[in-house]
Amino acid sequence: MRILRAIFSHGSGRIGGVIVGVYLLIAILGMLGLTPHNPITQYRVDRLHAPNGAYWMGTDLFGRDVASRLMAGIGQSFTVAFFSVAFATLAGTVLGLAAAWLGRRWDGVVMRIMDVLLAFPAILLALLIVTVAGPGTWTSIVAIGIVYTPIFTRVVRGPALSLKAREFVDAARTFGSSSSYIVTRHLLLNLVAPLTVQVTLALAWSLLTEAGLSFLGLGTQPPAASLGLMLSDSRNLMETAPWLMIFPGLAIMISILGFNLLGDALRDILDPKMRRAPA
Amino acid sequence: MIGHLTRTLLSGITLAAMLGVATVSTQAATLHMAWSQDATGLDPHKQTAFSSLRLLELIYEPLVRVDASLQIIPAVATSWEFSKDGKALTFKLDPKAKFQDGTAVTSADVKASFERILDEKTGAAARANFLSIASIDTPDPATVVFHLSQPDAPILTAMSDVNAAIVPASEIKAGSIGTKAVGSGPFKLDKWDPNAKEVLSANKDWAGGATGVDGIEISVLPDEAAILAAMRTKQIDFALLNDPLVATLVPKEASLQLNRVPVLAYHVLQLNPSRKPMTELKVRQAISCAIDRQEVLDTASLGEGKVTGPLTIPALATDPSQLFCYKRDLDKAKKLMAEAGFADGFSATVIGATGEPPTAAAEAQVIQSQLAEIGVKLDIKMMELNVYVDAWLKGDFDMAIALNGGRADPYTMYNRYWTKAGNLQKVANYIDDTLDSQMQQGRAETDPAKRKVIFAEFEKHLAEMSPWIWLYTSYSYTAQQKNIAGFVPTPTGTLFSLSKVTIQQ
Amino acid sequence: MNYLMRRLATFPLVLLGVSILVFVAIRMVPGDSITAMLGTEAGLLTPAQRDSLAAYFGIDQPWFIQYWRWIGGILHGNLGISVTYGRPVLDVILERFPLTLELAVLSMIIALVVGMPAGIFAATHNEKLSDLGVRIVAMIGQSTPSFVLGLLIIYTLSAGFGVLPAMGEFAPLWQDPLRNLSQMILPAITLGFAFAASVTRISRSAMLDVLSDDYVRTARSKGASARSVIWRHALPNALIPVVTLSGIEFGYLLGGAVIVEQIYALPGLGRMVLDAIQQRDYALVQGSVLFIAFNFMIVNLLVDLAYVALDPRIRLGES
Repeated sequence: MRILRAIFSHGSGRIGGVIVGVYLLIAILGMLGLTPHNPITQYRVDRLHAPNGAYWMGTDLFGRDVASRLMAGIGQSFTVAFFSVAFATLAGTVLGLAAAWLGRRWDGVVMRIMDVLLAFPAILLALLIVTVAGPGTWTSIVAIGIVYTPIFTRVVRGPALSLKAREFVDAARTFGSSSSYIVTRHLLLNLVAPLTVQVTLALAWSLLTEAGLSFLGLGTQPPAASLGLMLSDSRNLMETAPWLMIFPGLAIMISILGFNLLGDALRDILDPKMRRAPA
Repeated sequence: MIGHLTRTLLSGITLAAMLGVATVSTQAATLHMAWSQDATGLDPHKQTAFSSLRLLELIYEPLVRVDASLQIIPAVATSWEFSKDGKALTFKLDPKAKFQDGTAVTSADVKASFERILDEKTGAAARANFLSIASIDTPDPATVVFHLSQPDAPILTAMSDVNAAIVPASEIKAGSIGTKAVGSGPFKLDKWDPNAKEVLSANKDWAGGATGVDGIEISVLPDEAAILAAMRTKQIDFALLNDPLVATLVPKEASLQLNRVPVLAYHVLQLNPSRKPMTELKVRQAISCAIDRQEVLDTASLGEGKVTGPLTIPALATDPSQLFCYKRDLDKAKKLMAEAGFADGFSATVIGATGEPPTAAAEAQVIQSQLAEIGVKLDIKMMELNVYVDAWLKGDFDMAIALNGGRADPYTMYNRYWTKAGNLQKVANYIDDTLDSQMQQGRAETDPAKRKVIFAEFEKHLAEMSPWIWLYTSYSYTAQQKNIAGFVPTPTGTLFSLSKVTIQQ
Repeated sequence: MNYLMRRLATFPLVLLGVSILVFVAIRMVPGDSITAMLGTEAGLLTPAQRDSLAAYFGIDQPWFIQYWRWIGGILHGNLGISVTYGRPVLDVILERFPLTLELAVLSMIIALVVGMPAGIFAATHNEKLSDLGVRIVAMIGQSTPSFVLGLLIIYTLSAGFGVLPAMGEFAPLWQDPLRNLSQMILPAITLGFAFAASVTRISRSAMLDVLSDDYVRTARSKGASARSVIWRHALPNALIPVVTLSGIEFGYLLGGAVIVEQIYALPGLGRMVLDAIQQRDYALVQGSVLFIAFNFMIVNLLVDLAYVALDPRIRLGES
């Protein structure tokens, strides 16, 4: 709660919070099917209509309502973004903590594996995973998640190492706390700040990566909609039906803007050093 | 270039200067060409990809060619004749024909080329079309006689393909086919940078006479919207287009011309009759009745094409509206489903290749929506092309959206699927005595009128058994600047007539 | 020096991991060189034909022998032969690499030249209207997918103004510098826009961070001018995060920019790998991924060394 209040008293945090909030609402409506039309119903007599009273954002090649597809697409894109980032955060935290806490050989093994994943060209890694497993929502989630896992592992391992070395952990240890208690209580609490910032940034990346995969035909499968798929389907219709590119394009830009603003605000709020910055 | 610039705005001029477009060369005699997919190799006997064939047809020549109306015309051979019993085929070679290394094309080269195709070690897919060749005689350097184990009318059409190109016997011996391109065709390949560009120059010794341009430079522009942009700015004279969404924009440009010609390839929904419930004739027929082919064409391809039955060759095709359920009949479809015991429908997966053809995903979505009306729930899986080919060859699918290649002869086109010994029997997964015997009759028959009757029966029966649902044929598109003259598009998609194309000033 | 040796010692290990990963991954993708060449016509092959083609493509041996041969070749400086190009993999890569390098350098120049001044400007006008403006432009830059920007640029120029840099028939820098730059500038802008946006944001926040530090306050209180505070004291310290970000971004760009190369028809590394995957040119995929990974690690090492140069207080190898 305190953090929410802090976000809303922060200039760009307020804007970012509102944008992300509105998108979440749209995403939920889209996923519940509360859209003006059914997003996959083809009104084939109304193909490629420009925006009008019946179809606020026009219709696509199949006569599907773009506004409804946009809502469903935001739902889909956000699902992929949230789950893939959750995957990366979870895997990265576990691996990073394990590496830092177990140290020595384990640290070396985990970090070298992360180096391998990091050195492997990211889009190719995602592309190979998707081609092997076959495209679909879950494959996209896992593929994007794996690509970002090493970044989270690094983000967690660094602070975990320095915290481990600090006195209060030693103190807790001498007072007989179990090691799992130490890890959860002290380390995790001190990791919340860098993780939160990384998560909001990763959400933005993840949206873009999903769009890139869809551009290469390896993302969300038709007839479902995602922002990236709508954009990539529109590319050869850019001249005939510009609204097919404009609306999903704006939707993706504004959502990433929202995540970035929120991320910046969180960094300001959570980073104690930044709090001292001249207002 | 100056005249072109005066039309543009001031900012256009500064931009042009900034980007250096004013330096675009205007060498009159080089044709600048673009396509989105590059050739994949140079061995004319092994390559089967569309772009590879289009490139190799400019470099290599087969014994004969087919013209725009699919009639056989001379190439390396000037004349040909079947013996009375149909078991010997004699060719007379063009005495002027020369390979690009200056040596004459002789009967020994023809013999060596076909022996190479027939040798299993070569790995030539086209070998399947020439299995009836028992032996090859070369009575003199200008005469070749093919002795056949059985009458084989379609073999002549198969020989018109660049996959049956005549290559120098010396190059076969040297093992350099595929690394060096030495043909007898109108152009020489000077440089090939895979997935980037090809540079071709005119072959002055070509037996077909002088070419209209001094050379052709082919650029690979993977994005077709970018090809159109490059044509608008006159950088590209001639281009091959695949996506009807881009091709239909060409006529809107005053300086550009779109050439389109119906092709033999057909868009089809392949059912897998070895998988339940497509094993049931009534289920397959219900699917055929539930699909509105015209609507698939109108939506996925913007109406660019024609609804077709199994026969796409103009001389043999019949009126498709007479075929089984070519007019959508939902009541009949529901009735058939109920009779087969699937009144509530069923679920199945349809596979398609991403971007191959560009309309695949759209076709799948329209069909999905149409079949939903009879309770068939389709799940669409779009795959990378090679992953798709792998699944397709294994027959590992319920249904598949495909664009299958056509041939100038129905036997060559369909024996792989619908004869009992067909190589792609396990893709079609459908064995039918009637189809098999119709194919064998058509193969042996040399009288065109009688063949037409045989294949009309074949088409009717195939449409009624509905192992596949034939949808439509589309166009092959080329776009060109209006000052390019002499290009003749053909149903096989060949670009061979580029040999006579000229650039007007 | 000690640190450098230890970092370099991990290189072979990581590269070994990358080699196994790419080798296994590309073989797990269905389809092979034969179906890539023949498409559905591959179904017409007899088993004997298939075997002879498999031998031709070098995929007839069990996978561990293929891997062993490949690794053995690498140790002798031989990355194998590309079946599509019919040439050694390393030759093909080195032919495509200059373009990728040039594109990465150009985008980085654009990013730094535009991004750093914008970031510093925004930081010194913190929370004013002009700061907000810079930040909004930067965020738009970061949130535009490169294919949208690329397609829009090409469409606007060609349809609106009738101009476009020469597409295809790419001219290398040393052959025709003018033509080369005209072909590279738009792709560089397309990539540089998002890159510049990141640089703007990171230099703004780094600058704000440093400006609040004690020694800058001290300098200020001692009467140093605002200009000298920014240029002499704050900037060198603010450079560290900018170097980190640019280094990592540059490392990624050296792996090729698949989508931008595709749209602008540039024969760079990214498109080459994508084509190689599609054509199941195993040797080329493996070789280039290894090459890209190696470059990425070198760039990362250089970034770390740059820290030391920028800030003597940092001693490497502590964590």
